[in-house]
This record gives sequence, C-alpha cells and structure tokens, in this order.
Amino acid sequence: MKRCFLILEDGTHFVGSTPLTFEAMGEVVFNTSHSGYEEILSDPSYFNQIVVFTAPQIGNYGVRVERWESYRYHCRGMICLDLQNSARDHAFLDSLREQQIAVMTEVDTRALTLKLRDWGTIWGVIVVADELSLAKEKASLLLNQKDQLPQDWVAQVTTGNTYQIDGMKKNGLHIGVIDYGVKRNILREIASRCEKVTVFPSKISWSDINHHAVHGIVLSNGPGDPAQVEGTIETIRHLVGRLPIFAICMGHQLLSKALGAQTYKLKFGHRGSNHPIFDPVLNRVYVASHNHGYAVREETLPSLVKMKMINLYDKTLAGFYLEDKKILSVQYHPEACPGPREANKLFDVFIKMVEGGIA
Amino acid sequence: MKKLAKGSKILILGSGPIVIGQACEFDYSGTQACKALRSAGYQVILINSNPATIMTDPETAHKVYIEPLEVSYVEAVIERELPDALMPTLGGQTALNLALELHRRGVLQKFGVQLLGSSVEAIELCENRELFRDLLDRLGIHYPKSVMVRSLAEAQAAVKNLGLPLILRPNYTLGGGGGGIAYSLEEYEHLIFKALKESPTSEVLVEESILGWYEYELELMRDSKGTSMIVCSIENLDPCGVHTGDSITIAPQQTLPDYEYQEMRNDAFRIADAVGLSTGGANIQFAVDPVSRRRVVIEMNPRVSRSSALASKATGFPIAKIAALVAVGYHLDEITNDITKATPSSYEPALDYVVTKIPKFNFEKFPGVQDVLGTQMRSVGEVMAIGRTFKESLMKALLALEDSDQGCQDVFFQMNQLSYPNSKRLWHIFQAFRHNFSLEDVHKWTGIHPYFLDHLKGIVDLEKEIASAYELSPELLLKAKRYGFSDARIGFLRKKTGREIFLLRKEWGISPGFEKVDTCAGEFASETPYYYSSYWSSQKRVSCSSNSVVIIGSGPNRIGQGIEFDYACVRASYSLKKLGYQVIMVNSNPETVSTDYDTSDFLFFEPLTVEHLNEIMRACNPLGFIAQFGGQTPIKIMFALEEFGWNVLGNSCEVVRKSEDRKLFSDICSSLGLKIPASGVAASYSEACAIAEAIGYPLIARPSYVLGGRRMEIIENQEALQSYFHRNHDIISHSNPCYLDYFLERALEVDVDIISDGDQVIIGGVLEHIEATGVHSGDSMAVLPPRRLSQQFLNLICEYSEKLARALHVRGFLNIQYALKDNQIYVIEANPRSSRTVPFIAKATGYPLVDLGVLAIMNRLPELPKLLHNQNTWYHVKGVVYPFKKFSDADPVLSPEMKSTGETMGRSPNYGEALLKAFIGANVRLPLKGEVFFSLRDKDKMLAVELVRRFQQLGYSISATSGTAQFLNNCGIHVTSVRKIHEGRPHCVDRIRNGEVSLVINTTRGTKAVTDGFLIRRACIDLNIPCITKLETAEALLDALEALKTGSHEVFPL
Repeated sequence: MKRCFLILEDGTHFVGSTPLTFEAMGEVVFNTSHSGYEEILSDPSYFNQIVVFTAPQIGNYGVRVERWESYRYHCRGMICLDLQNSARDHAFLDSLREQQIAVMTEVDTRALTLKLRDWGTIWGVIVVADELSLAKEKASLLLNQKDQLPQDWVAQVTTGNTYQIDGMKKNGLHIGVIDYGVKRNILREIASRCEKVTVFPSKISWSDINHHAVHGIVLSNGPGDPAQVEGTIETIRHLVGRLPIFAICMGHQLLSKALGAQTYKLKFGHRGSNHPIFDPVLNRVYVASHNHGYAVREETLPSLVKMKMINLYDKTLAGFYLEDKKILSVQYHPEACPGPREANKLFDVFIKMVEGGIA
Repeated sequence: MKKLAKGSKILILGSGPIVIGQACEFDYSGTQACKALRSAGYQVILINSNPATIMTDPETAHKVYIEPLEVSYVEAVIERELPDALMPTLGGQTALNLALELHRRGVLQKFGVQLLGSSVEAIELCENRELFRDLLDRLGIHYPKSVMVRSLAEAQAAVKNLGLPLILRPNYTLGGGGGGIAYSLEEYEHLIFKALKESPTSEVLVEESILGWYEYELELMRDSKGTSMIVCSIENLDPCGVHTGDSITIAPQQTLPDYEYQEMRNDAFRIADAVGLSTGGANIQFAVDPVSRRRVVIEMNPRVSRSSALASKATGFPIAKIAALVAVGYHLDEITNDITKATPSSYEPALDYVVTKIPKFNFEKFPGVQDVLGTQMRSVGEVMAIGRTFKESLMKALLALEDSDQGCQDVFFQMNQLSYPNSKRLWHIFQAFRHNFSLEDVHKWTGIHPYFLDHLKGIVDLEKEIASAYELSPELLLKAKRYGFSDARIGFLRKKTGREIFLLRKEWGISPGFEKVDTCAGEFASETPYYYSSYWSSQKRVSCSSNSVVIIGSGPNRIGQGIEFDYACVRASYSLKKLGYQVIMVNSNPETVSTDYDTSDFLFFEPLTVEHLNEIMRACNPLGFIAQFGGQTPIKIMFALEEFGWNVLGNSCEVVRKSEDRKLFSDICSSLGLKIPASGVAASYSEACAIAEAIGYPLIARPSYVLGGRRMEIIENQEALQSYFHRNHDIISHSNPCYLDYFLERALEVDVDIISDGDQVIIGGVLEHIEATGVHSGDSMAVLPPRRLSQQFLNLICEYSEKLARALHVRGFLNIQYALKDNQIYVIEANPRSSRTVPFIAKATGYPLVDLGVLAIMNRLPELPKLLHNQNTWYHVKGVVYPFKKFSDADPVLSPEMKSTGETMGRSPNYGEALLKAFIGANVRLPLKGEVFFSLRDKDKMLAVELVRRFQQLGYSISATSGTAQFLNNCGIHVTSVRKIHEGRPHCVDRIRNGEVSLVINTTRGTKAVTDGFLIRRACIDLNIPCITKLETAEALLDALEALKTGSHEVFPL
C-alpha cells in the first residue's frame, strides 16, 4: 500500500492509501448504494467522475463481467474505506488495475461525504505521494488541465455507429434508442419486450431515425451537463408528438430542454438506491435507483405537463407523463442495476404506449 | 384502509415475561408504539403480565393492565374497556397467538373489536406452513422441500420421502421451540414425538436439510397502500442449521451481488403483497445454496420481531413506531423520518458502517446440557456493535459480551468446537488461525462464507504482526485500534498492561472519533445524537453541556441481569432529563428501550468496558457517571473509571467496597448489632473443612464476584463439600476465594429496596419470598405486602435497613436480603444498586422508585413516608419463568443458582387470585382436575400431609412413589402407590409420560447425577406438566387452584 491523497479544488485534502499507482482527476461524487459496485463503475454516466462509496466494504463478491453496464469502467477513480484484497479474492482490485482506475482506500469516507454534501460537488484529484506538499504540486498540475477537457461528455461515451440488436419478442415492435451513454440493462429491458432494437449515436438526426421506421424511441442515460450536449435537441423536438418517447435520466433532461424547460446543477446530486419517488403513472410510492447531478426545473416545464413524478426526499422533479404526446420521462433509473426494480413496470407502460400507436 | 379515527381506543397486547426467544425487544417495540399512537391522538390501553417493563409504566399508556396474557383475562379487559381496535403485532408470537385465539373464540367479533396490523388471514398464512407453501407455489418462489406431519405414521412416511438429515419445525411455536435437526433415524423418532407435543396444533413441518446454506433476513415495511421497503438486510455468519437468534449476524448483508440481492428483495415484496401484509413490519428469511445459488424462503413473520429491534438499532429507523402508525392506517410517505426531520419514511436506510450482533449464552448455568447450537434458540441475550468496517464492528461486539477485556482472547483449541456449531465457535476459529489452519480448512469445517473468514484471518494475522513487531509503532497501534483490538488485548500481545497501551495512545494522540447513525450515510443533515466510536473517524469531540451525566447501561441480557436493569436505566434517564441534566446513555444491547434514540439526550451504542466508557467521557467531559442502575456491569467497571479521574454520582466505590467485601461488611453489621450467618472464606478444600468444622452444616457456598448465584450450592455434608471444591477448582483460588456461610434452612427470606440521600432513608418496599431460603431470590416467587412477616419484624427490618444505609453512606439505592429464622433476623447480603426487584416494587406501590433514587443521588429527595408500601394494599405476587424447556438435559430444580429468565406480576385484592394470575402469567398450565403425583424427600413428608389433604378436598386424585405413599397411607390419607424406577415397570415416569398425571410435586436433596427425581422432572418439562420442586410453591399453587375453582377473571388497571 502506498500513501495517497485526494486533493479537492478548494485545497481541502484527505489522506488514504492505494494498492495501485494510478492518479486521476474527476468530479468527486458519492453514492450511497450498499451493493452494485461493478454496475456503478461500468455505468457510462460516471464518466469523468471519482466515485466515493459511502458503503465501507467494497469488492466483497468479486467481479462478474456479464453484470457490467457497459464494456468497461467509466469513472476515473474510486474511493472506499476498505477494499477486498486478500490472497483468496482480489478479483475486483485486479479489474481496477486492468482498467487503470485510480483507487483510494483507508480514508475517512464519511468525512469526505459530509464535505461533498456541505460544499457541493467539487473536482478533485487522487495522487500518490508520501508528502502533502508533493501531492499538492501534482494536484495543481492535474487540475490545471481541467478546463481543457471537452465539455460534451455524452459525445465521448456514445456509440460511434448505429447498430441493431435482436429483440426477444416476435411482436413486430421496433424500438430506437439514442445512446447518450446507455446502460446495458436499458437495452436488455427494451429487447425483452420487442422484436428489434436500433441504437443511435447521440448526434443522430431526425431524418436518420425516420429512415429506420422505429415505433418508439428511448432517450438513454448519460454523463455530464445536459446543457453541454450537442446535436440532439433538434432531433428530440422532431420526435415529440411523432413517436412515443421513453426518456431516462440524461434523456429526461434533454427531452425537457427540447420542450423548453431549463436544467440546473444539484448541489451534490442524487446517487444511490434508496430515494423515494411518488409515481402517479404506476400510482405508487417506491424507492428507485438514482444517479444524476443535474435536474429539470419543474416550474419551467410546459404547463400541459400535469402528471409529475416527485422525488420525496427533496421534492425535486423526478419525471413526468404526457399522455397525449405519448411521452414518459423519468430522472431516475427504472432499469435499476444497481438498485431496486419497482420502477421496472415503466418499461411496460412505454411498450403499451408504442403498441397503442401501432394499433 | 381508512385511517382509524382519532381518539379511538386501541388495546395493545404485550409479550409477557422474558423467555428465550422473546425478550425485552418487545418492551422496546411496545413502548415506542404506545408513544407514537398517543402522540397521534389515540387512546392506548395496554395489557402485559411483565411488571419489569417500561411499557407497563403508567406514563406509557392511558391505562395499563398488568394481567396474564391469557384469553379469559384479555376478554375481561376488552369487556371492561370496549376498545375499538386490537394491536397484536408488537407483542411477539405471544400476542399474535393470543389474537388468533381471541378471534377463534369469537371474542373480537362479540365486542366489535377491529384487528389492526395483521388480518387473521395474514397471520394464518404466515404461521400455517402448508398455507404459506401454497402461496409460495402460486408465486413460483422456492422453499425447502417438506412434508407436514400430524402423526407418527405420517412421520415415518416423511423420512422415507425426504431422507436424512431432516429439520423439524413445529407449527405455532416460539423461537423454534420443540424443533431440531435429526441426523439419524433414532434421533428423528425421538425428536418428532417431542415436536408433535410442542405444536399447539400437533403439526410439524419436516423439511429437507439446507444445512450449510447461507442465511439472510430482510426487514420489511409495507403500508395499506402497498408502499413497501426493506429497512435492513441482515446476513448470518453461521450458515443454516443454527437458529438466527443464536447466529452471529451482520448488517447490511455483505456477500450478495446486487442482482441477487434485488431478486431476494423482489421475492420479499411479492410475498408481502400476496399475504396482504399491512402490518408495517415483517421479516422474511432466505437461504442461498453457496454452489448452485438456488434461493429458498425459510419463513416469514408478519409482525415486529427480535430482528426488527436489531434492524431499528442498526439503521436508526424506528420500525415499531412506524409499524404502529401504519397499522392504524398511516402511509409511509406521510410519516416524517425522525432522524433527518426532513425526509419521509418511505425510503430505505443507507448505512456507512457495519453492524455485528453476537448472541449471549448461559450454557454454564445448566450442567449436563451440551453446548451445541441447532434450530431451537438457546441464547438469552445479545450484543450489537457498530464499526466502520466489519473487523472493527465484530471486535467491538466481542468486547460488548463482557466475557473478557481482550475480546478475541486465546482459548484452548478443540477440533469439535470448530466443526460443531456452538456458543464458543468464533473463538475457536480465531485459535485455528493462530495454529495456522488454512482458510479453506476452516471453511470446510464451519461452512462459514470465506468472505468473513478472510476478515477473521486478517485479525489473527495482525495479532501476529503486533506480537512479533520489534517495536509497537504509532502506525501499527492505529492499525490495531482500527481493527478493533482493545488496549488490553494489544497489551497482552506486547506483554504490557492495557493501561500502558492507553498511555501510549494518549502520547501519540490515537483516540477514537464518534460518528452518527443517521439512516442516510451522511446524505442529509441529522440532529439525532445517536453515536458510535470508530478509529477511522476524525470527529473527536461531542458537544455535550457541562451538566451532562453518563448512565452506564446493563449490557446484554443474561440470566441474573435482564430487563429489570434496563428499566432502571431508562427511568433514570427520564428523570434526570426532567431535572435538567443532559443524559448520556451508554449500552450495547439492541433489544432495549435504553438504546432507543429518543430515550436520552445522547445515545452511545458501545461496549460497556472501561476503555470505551473512558473514551466516551474523554469526548464528552461529563459532570459524572452513575453506576447503580445497570446491575453488576457498571459496578465492575466503576473502580477503574474512578481511577481515570471520572466522578461517580451517587453510591461511590467506597460504598460498593464496603458492601461487597465480606470482611468489611460483617464488621459493619456487627458494629450495628446486626446478625449475619456465621461464615468463612476458603481458598481450598482443606481450608473449607476447617470452616465447616467451626460453623457446622448445612453450608451455602458461593464463589466471589459472581452474578445470579453462579455456582452457588447448598452443602449438607463433607462429601458434598469435597465434591463442590473438586467441581469448582477452576474458579476458586487465593485471589478468588469461596465464601462459606452457614445455611439458614427453611428460613423466611425478604428483599428490601432502600433509597437514601444521606439524610433521609426510605424503604421502598419489603418483598417476601414464597419459597424458603435456598432458592435464589431471582427464582423464588414473592409477595408484597408481606403475609407471614409480623408487624414487629417488619418494623425491625425497616430499622435495620435504615441503620445499614446510614452506616454504608448510601447515596441512591441499596438492596438488602434478610432471612428470618427462630425469631432472629439475619442479614444475608447487601447490594448498593437498583436491584431486580425495583420495577416490581415500583409497580406494586405506585411510587416511581427509580425516579426517587435519582432524586436521592442528585440531592433533591422530597420528604416522603419512611415505608412506601401500605400494609393494606392489594396483593402483588411475583411469578417466575424458567427456560428448562430449551435445555433438554438440564435438571429443572430450584437452587441457590438463578436460572429463571423472566417474571410476571399477579395483582388482586385476594391473595389466591393474585397467585393464580402470577402462575398463569408465567405459563404454568394449571390442571382443573386429575391426578397429583408426589415424590418427596423424607424431611418434607410430614409437612406435605396437610397439602395432600387440601388437594384431595379440591377433588384431585393423589398418587405417590412407594415410600411417600406408604407414609401418607400411614397418616390415614389414601393415595395410589406408584413404582420408583428401580422397582420395575410400569413406574412413575411411565405414568407421567403416558399423560396420566396432571401435576407433579417433587422435592429432592442435592442435584446429583441422574436420579429418579431428575427423570420425573424432565418428563414433566417435556410434556408441559407443571412440576413443583418446593413445598412452599406447592402451597401457593393450592391457594391459586382454590381461586381457580371460583372461575373469577377479574382485572384491574394500575
């Protein structure tokens, strides 16, 4: 184990140790899920971020690549109190090493979480150093590069080409998915309910989508600030009213923008598996999987939006349903992985909307 | 469901006396529920037979009935109160079964009482294993293959179908009562007979073995709208085969990948939906095959349970409170989370720490009983500890057990202690690693998940590093503390004292920080001051005011130190708060009211060791601490805390020293002219012989520093004395000598609780034992006001008590036991602390005794009468509950060593009725007719003649062993003579086992080996036939039976 530091942009530092040698810069965010570390790290929405697990024991059950939400880990760094690393089982640590993720352990993650909660999301770097002064030097070099990072994170994780997946139902349904950094389980959930899925890059045009003659469209999750995502708002405007839309997380934010609403940055975001949602569509209160740093300003939504999902923790907008426009839009993750699956029925609601359109 | 109208009257059923499997967690849940329902505007009526509970305090409910939890008494309460609704989900299995019975007998229907929390259908679905399995089939959820067996013939068929080993689960029993695991056909036949007897419906589920599977438990909440959440997941360290109550458990679960956990969670919700659960709380147990990952449901409890209490303390989520509100129709999203004050209760707590629970066992109290764990729960209490990592939390939990200040102390390794589940297995796992066993081997022998074994091995690896390091560096010491090692253990490994390690830590600035349990892993701000310590934390100070007072709790329940002490701690906290002090509660027992986050101003969930208390006080800097409410636990550590410079409030170390040191105490007694039995102190058998010669037999032997009369015995002759020293040589030494007192045979014993502020001395109450001397005061029945004690002696006892309290300089409580023999009063012992009898006396006299004690400690005692109880008050009889059923090889005979787990109170203006209620409350099945069988020792025969006559007059037939029968026939009483065992068959035990006897009176001398008496008593326990082992108890039982014949079930609110 080597001594390492997390240096935040405001100069605050935390000391810990690392079993690896990688260093990284990222937006430091915390996630309160107890389990699902693989799903979290492989979720493209964590692109450019350093994830702090509030759960202290991470890596407990090894690695199962088939459970990953994409082909690789997308975060830059991960921080936890105690990482599984014994002679018997060190699979998770090995996967972090292979993917060159900066790792920090043996650090007071609660103090760090409270800092992030009180200060808000902040950038930071994990650096390996014996002394604080050296760490700070290294940190400022890295942090200087922050402004040079491309602003449209979605563009960096979306698919390069349009591709197709076979669905599992012989029902003739063809669903399009715009990939802003899509999680595999969204694709799995859709594929299990239709005959064909076509996945489009984020900057796909309306005419290209139209060309594929899909029956409904899913706007996926994805990383970063919705205001910085390029080349998609126009496309979405064309989609509205023409195709049934199911928008998730980043998709929800972009759809809202296309409808004229504004987005804003939450102080420290919602990341975890335990936030309660009021959902008027399923007419239930349930907990759902969350992962977002931005939200839609409820009052800026068009007035025709009546049915709204609400996050009962802080009363922020968690989604909406526009029946006549066939739009279902949620800020949280009905595809779970990790987290609770109560919202899974929303996929059925979407498919019903699509089927209604065909009939 | 429509919300129950405000102002409605709700009857809450408590859980009765503390028994194994149902302990003070239900006082916690009941108390919390009462508070919640009252503040929501409902009228709360409570019935519970257990007086040592906070829930039965007059402040908790609008009306309290301390009455037996039996249908006729509950019906009488319903008739008197006409409640709108009944809440049966907070009083454990007792309350649930009672509610079912009230429904079956039409009582609820007759009085139009709505059942809250669980519908009868939902209770039956979960309790009736066949119905439950049908439901699981419909949902496509798996369960272990099994057959419901109703007869021995069906049992034979079942074993052919399923093969061995088999798990036996009787329907509708508590804590797996009557169940077990059968590995051989012979064992199966033996167990099935008992199991059929034990189930009230004579149904036993015979189940395929899932031994070795990993076991998980989910604590679920669901409201009437269908909103559901999992409050907490719990993982058992011990694989299937050990009752969850006896397992070490960890929260949240650590080894399931998210997708497996979510599948389990979904199954739980689907089951709860299908059952139609709207109780609020429930728990569901699952097992997972380590290899195939097949998942099965073991069982579901549609009520608040022991694990709910654990889950509440582990997460900060007040399950009982929410469950109560949900049961009257609230929805989860309309109830605010108390901890964050801002978020709703419809969420799942997130934990940024690990919680470990370890059960506390008392096998040593039951000689002859094998310490092997199975499907029947046998632990008597539990500890919980919180740490940032699993290692830290486990090591803290080990210290919380109070067995050793080292926690993971060395043991003499035995292979069978590793391969069979038993109460000491964890220590043998550590020892196996010390002996360089491989992880694979330990996994093979124990079946414990390698994830946990990794951590256990890691702990031992660090031990080796500490022991072998050239020098203990600050880094290594910090690491050791983060692993949870105590100063004492580190000291042991470094050949230093714990104190030296503490000084090193102080020098190097290594101290724990204190973190909050906030239900949300820090995501939201929380004001609730519920803390735990961790060496990972940098939060070193806790902002307490300068007039804060630490109350040291009583730790895990064990026989001899149970709920009575938690009661005192809680009352003390309430009244100190009223006086304007800030109260800091420290305790390690998750079942208690004292560890509810709103009982005190600050709650520290910590082991009750000198080290942990010292660190808390370093962080809080309190005015002082009080050591007289938590039983013997705080007394043991107060001396060291005083040495650290902390201030004791109330009874000082000096008072304790003077009353515990036999020499000092006897000097004080003689200077006051008080008699004490002749006594001596012996460190060896030869010294003991000399003492015996000087003072004569019978003697009562007691080792020093024991709790609940541990290894106390009456010794009648030299042979017995030799045997005693032989059997106890391991604990008797020059530093730990054995006290030998002359035993006052057949003396009348009384317990007196005294309060003094140094000026006034008040006698709280004089409790007269029903059994004569020789039965531990915790095990004997008792009555207040005294019936046999004359006014003259009562006055003398009050006078002596005052003298002693003054001479000892008592500040707060003093408990004295006296014996009366041949018109002489002897002082047996004095304990300068709130005693086991305090809650009982408080309930009986109506005086808040603990509050008065606090006033005395804080020097604010108002002027009060000298003796608080009135001679003309009603009779209050203490009934006693023993755990013999759970220890199938133990001798159920009463002795100076305490064995009972709980108590009840019977109240009535009529002595017989009060006795009757005490017996019924203690689950003694009183026969209305039938045969009473006597087997008596010679000394008792003459005294029994009158009793036998009275039984005959009441219409019972009498049988007796040949000797006793002959004696009685000679006295002109006709009784049936029955053979003793050595006289050939059919003998007396055959007769009992055939169900021909309905009551047994059996007195015996000594507790030696397997005698007729032992077999007679065991047969009674197995068949639920009351077995009385003291003539005084028999006499009380007669008084009760006479009352029973009147058929009265009158009930009286407090």
